[in-house]
Amino acid sequence: MFPSQSRRDFFFAGGTGIFGLTMPQLLQARAAAPAKKAKADHVIVVWLGGGPPHQDMFDLKPNAPAEIRGEYKPIDTNVPGIQIGELLPRLAKNADKYTILRSVGINSEKWEHGGGQYWLTGNPRKTGVTPAYPMYGNVVSKLRPAPKDVPTFVAFGDIDNHAYGLKQNYLGPTVDPIVFQPDDAKSEVKGMLVPPVGLELSAFDRRESLRQSLDTQLRGLEDPLVGGMDKFQQTAFDLLRSPKLRTALEIEREPLKVAERYGKNSHGKRVLAARRLVEAGVPFVYTHFESNWDHHGQNFRACKDKLPVLDKAVASLLEDLSATGMLERTIVMVLGEMGRTPKINKDAGRDHWGTCQSVLVAGGGFAGGAVVGATDKHAAYVVDKYYPVESFGRTIYHLLGIDPDQTLLALDNRPHRLIGEDTPLIKEAIA
Amino acid sequence: MTRVWLSLAIAALFGAPTLARAAEPARVNPTDQPLFSRHVVPLFSRLGCNAGACHGSVKGQNGFRLSLFGANPALDHALLLREFSGRRLNPFDPEKSLLLQKATGQVPHQGGQRMGPESRDYQLVRNWLVRGAALDKVEDSRVTALKVSPSQQTVQKGQTYRLKVEATFADGTKEDVTDLCTFEVVDKDVADVDVTGEVRAKGVGDTALVVRYGYDPVVAMALVPRAGSEPFPSVKPNNFVDEHVLAKLRTLNIHPTDLCDDATFLRRVNLDVTGLAPTPEEVRAFLADKAADKRAKKIDELLGKPGYASLWATKFSDLLKPNSFNGNYGMVEAAEARRFYEWVRARMAENIPYDQFAERVLMATSRDGRTREEWFDEVMAMAEENAKQEPNLVVYSKRQTLDLYWQRDNATGVKGTLQVAHAFLGLRMECAQCHRHPHDIWQQDDLLSFANFFMRVKGANYPDAKTLPPKLAELMKKGPEDAKKLREDAKKLTDKAKDKSVKLDDAAKMIAEAKELEMKARMLTEGPKRFGTEVQHSGERSNFASMSSPLGTQKSEKFRLLGDKAALTIGKEEDPRAAVVAWMRKPENPFFAKAMVNRVWAHYYGRGIIDPADHLSPLNPPTHPELLDALAKGFVENKFDLKWLHRTILLSRTYQQSARPHETAKNDRRNYAAFPLRRLAAEVLLDAVNQATGGAESFPARLFLPAGARAMEVAGVTGAENDRASLAYAFQIFGRPVRNGMVQCDCERDPSPTIVQALYMANHPQLREKIAAPTGRVAQIVKDHTDDAKRVEEVFLWTVGRLPSKDDLAVSIEYVKASPSAKRGLEDLMWGLINTREFSLNH
Repeated sequence: MFPSQSRRDFFFAGGTGIFGLTMPQLLQARAAAPAKKAKADHVIVVWLGGGPPHQDMFDLKPNAPAEIRGEYKPIDTNVPGIQIGELLPRLAKNADKYTILRSVGINSEKWEHGGGQYWLTGNPRKTGVTPAYPMYGNVVSKLRPAPKDVPTFVAFGDIDNHAYGLKQNYLGPTVDPIVFQPDDAKSEVKGMLVPPVGLELSAFDRRESLRQSLDTQLRGLEDPLVGGMDKFQQTAFDLLRSPKLRTALEIEREPLKVAERYGKNSHGKRVLAARRLVEAGVPFVYTHFESNWDHHGQNFRACKDKLPVLDKAVASLLEDLSATGMLERTIVMVLGEMGRTPKINKDAGRDHWGTCQSVLVAGGGFAGGAVVGATDKHAAYVVDKYYPVESFGRTIYHLLGIDPDQTLLALDNRPHRLIGEDTPLIKEAIA
Repeated sequence: MTRVWLSLAIAALFGAPTLARAAEPARVNPTDQPLFSRHVVPLFSRLGCNAGACHGSVKGQNGFRLSLFGANPALDHALLLREFSGRRLNPFDPEKSLLLQKATGQVPHQGGQRMGPESRDYQLVRNWLVRGAALDKVEDSRVTALKVSPSQQTVQKGQTYRLKVEATFADGTKEDVTDLCTFEVVDKDVADVDVTGEVRAKGVGDTALVVRYGYDPVVAMALVPRAGSEPFPSVKPNNFVDEHVLAKLRTLNIHPTDLCDDATFLRRVNLDVTGLAPTPEEVRAFLADKAADKRAKKIDELLGKPGYASLWATKFSDLLKPNSFNGNYGMVEAAEARRFYEWVRARMAENIPYDQFAERVLMATSRDGRTREEWFDEVMAMAEENAKQEPNLVVYSKRQTLDLYWQRDNATGVKGTLQVAHAFLGLRMECAQCHRHPHDIWQQDDLLSFANFFMRVKGANYPDAKTLPPKLAELMKKGPEDAKKLREDAKKLTDKAKDKSVKLDDAAKMIAEAKELEMKARMLTEGPKRFGTEVQHSGERSNFASMSSPLGTQKSEKFRLLGDKAALTIGKEEDPRAAVVAWMRKPENPFFAKAMVNRVWAHYYGRGIIDPADHLSPLNPPTHPELLDALAKGFVENKFDLKWLHRTILLSRTYQQSARPHETAKNDRRNYAAFPLRRLAAEVLLDAVNQATGGAESFPARLFLPAGARAMEVAGVTGAENDRASLAYAFQIFGRPVRNGMVQCDCERDPSPTIVQALYMANHPQLREKIAAPTGRVAQIVKDHTDDAKRVEEVFLWTVGRLPSKDDLAVSIEYVKASPSAKRGLEDLMWGLINTREFSLNH
């Protein structure tokens, strides 16, 4: 299963070893090689910071004892044989559009919240002595930047909390996401992304041509720094000039009916904004669907509050992307850091559980109407088709047409394999 | 790598390279009589088998593991025998050995084909197998010297030459090991090197070539001069800095550029020395000054300004990382960061000799020579200040030593040692926690033996009542009880104040009184928690440095300075830190002065003479070794006078050159043929924006800054970016370091440009508001001047620090006239200038 052709290329091109200066040659060789065929052009990550309870969402065990099965019952979906939790009725009507991965997990108790980094990067290391691994979106920014008038990687929500690798990773700040709250009218970052109200395009261009005629002092210097700044400034101006981003960010343009389907709350609005950005051409949108999926106490009350909100937003997203055909080229993933303990604790909560969890994936080459793997009768251990997180990361890159075995250089020139471990693709999840 | 080799390497560290031709060593053909540790293991290294991503991984690869980079041949032999025993490692039928079949790709090998079946490499392994696959005496094959020749070579573009590598072993034998080495070229624009060690000159410049034999590295240099016979310009050196720079340029046959004009120099030197652009008044005065020595006078003037001290307090904060103060010990992050910064700033302002600065940081004690009781008074005073949220910065900055340095989390022990090595010696030693980095020389024992000097310093802890004097133990116990009473009293007062029958004046007084009581309560609870933060030498404790990693656990009980062969004897009552400081300030110390000289150089030129500036290593040679030596020597001879160092660099012609290179030097980035462009640091850029627009930063109260303070004066971290504060956001996107105590790298301050930076400059709402503010610069200019030309001139001076050229003036006036109003036109002009390269770069 491991020795793909590309991996062998790696060694030939690398010539003399893993450390050192043969790597740029390798990268050149790689650039010359034709890119693998991508099945997905866009990704939307709906991140449930903490660990959402798989037993109450996608992997219910109605026959387990009461102290395990919890308060909620499974319901049928529109795919015969697949059931999910009763608090997700709209997702149940759309099961033909996604695959549920039930046999994945970080497979270790010790990871706990550090598992977030694992899931978002495909690599298992907490930050500390060495810089973090990059998130999928940072890698897309590096290897597959967007067309000129939209940003490549946008992130919503509290990315400093239970989210990992989006910033301060080994690829450096040039591939960091642009972070803002699309539903916050006062957001200065959002304000920075759209031209000021009242500035006509002609005035914008007139001002820009003034700038150009004054920016002559350092002209003609073949300096990489000036070259880089010129390039980024041009990209920034293209972005401001184009109506694409501006229009996409005006989520209030969306008909009231549509906004209500997603939910008139900040989470629903962010998922709606994610859809609009992807439709405008943005390759990667990450939305932090609040951090607090960490139900050590009052799990069932929390589920009652949160799951309908999640259900509305994600089901609407899948319905809309599917209706426009965008889903075919857009990966949607809904996941958190880990699963939760089968046994309900004394505070009616479920604690951290790294052994297994459920992940929802759709679009961009993922199959619809499928379930991969199975857990035991208590949703505690995987009994069929276990896949580690590296397999998940590899599958994402595979669908994006990005070689997970390629070596990227960190800022300090240390080489890193994109996904460190050799693991198989989750082929059952691929259409 | 060996101790002998290490000390040789240190002795030769950064010394001027000499052209040496090695005597031809006796050529034993290793393929005939290969030894495992001398030939087979280095071959594994050359082929990459024992690299971290292959079998050198802790987990091995596909069930087969080797020691990382071949550090341990005996272990490798044992592992090979275990994994490949029987038919797999078959001396009787070597071709059938799995080792060879895998390496040649005859059976599927994840790593692909590593050697051809007819190759020399193959013969070598085969012959070793035929001769019994034995482990030789590893000690005999320990490398005592590794020599590459030519160690420095001047070569014309297009020409080639061969490197030869000779190893001397512990048993006294020498051998040509060229075929077993890997070769890497550092600057690929200058030369290529192939697997046989053949170097081909590609472009003008010089580059290091890193050669590795097994576990041992050595460096050679190649220099490629430009062809062409134009006479070298007759430029006059200002001082020895120029002599060295010009000598190298002459060798490379690339020409230095002209001096920059006065306005450019003034802006450049102001931004570099004080972090602030010159005002229009300063620009006009400087341009009008006809004195021949006006640049020199300006340099002296600027080095005396407060901005100099602020800028270097910031630079040292990057290195010394004033954060991670533990609230459980009564410390308040933002207040302690402020005290820390102000202490450093005061030392910079008084221009303390750098060795004394290091001493007063590294040898810090909380008592500062006072009695314990006197120190407790200081603690309670600080607790009171923290409770009032008014840290008295002057008092702390007058302390003799910076005890806050040692009161941070992870300041002591091995982690703290990594930071000392990085901040004061310019060394990166993180890798040595577990293994030697292939591009450096430090081993675990070097780090751990050095860490022992910092194992006896006691940092911050929760106070232990048993060790406190009775009075204080009582205060620690009683403090919280008293505080509780005070809080109750305060609550009574506030409740009473709410009573409608109480007069408004009286109610206000009650509330004020209640606040006072709450403040005292805070002080009583928080103050005593700080009694355990006393930084002191604790001689009776004798724990030694050890490190556990997936590669194993190692411990050292020796006190050995970095690069020294012999360990020191340190008595139980001695503070070992003193030995480190005494070693640092010795003129022959290979790191201390050089690291600082190199960092100051990197501040002014964007790259170190050794680059990266915090990676002093014999495998990372300087571009101008003699210059580095001369600067370091002068620094020591001038009693570590930092301002001497700054002045010497700033006075040089090299610093005062134009940024526009001579056409012979267009691609040069390492030899200072022109002034290198640098993006302004985050703090400098924000201050420049504020000065240009007449805006001010609104600092969060927790930063304890006076109104009108500069971004450069922010001491600690500023909070998360999702604070809507634009200061924190701008700091983050322009690469101000977060000063993570676990990361030892000057690269934490990131000068690279990004799209978000471009968006910020072009369109951030706060920046737009600053330009258009009714109280802003443009509004003021419109009010003060009626003539458009004069107005345009003012906008130019405030933003880019120069007068507009004729063309600039014409274009700008025309633009202003065509605008809806002069103010709107001038706002656009300021926006335009802020978004030029000229503004964001020091040039």
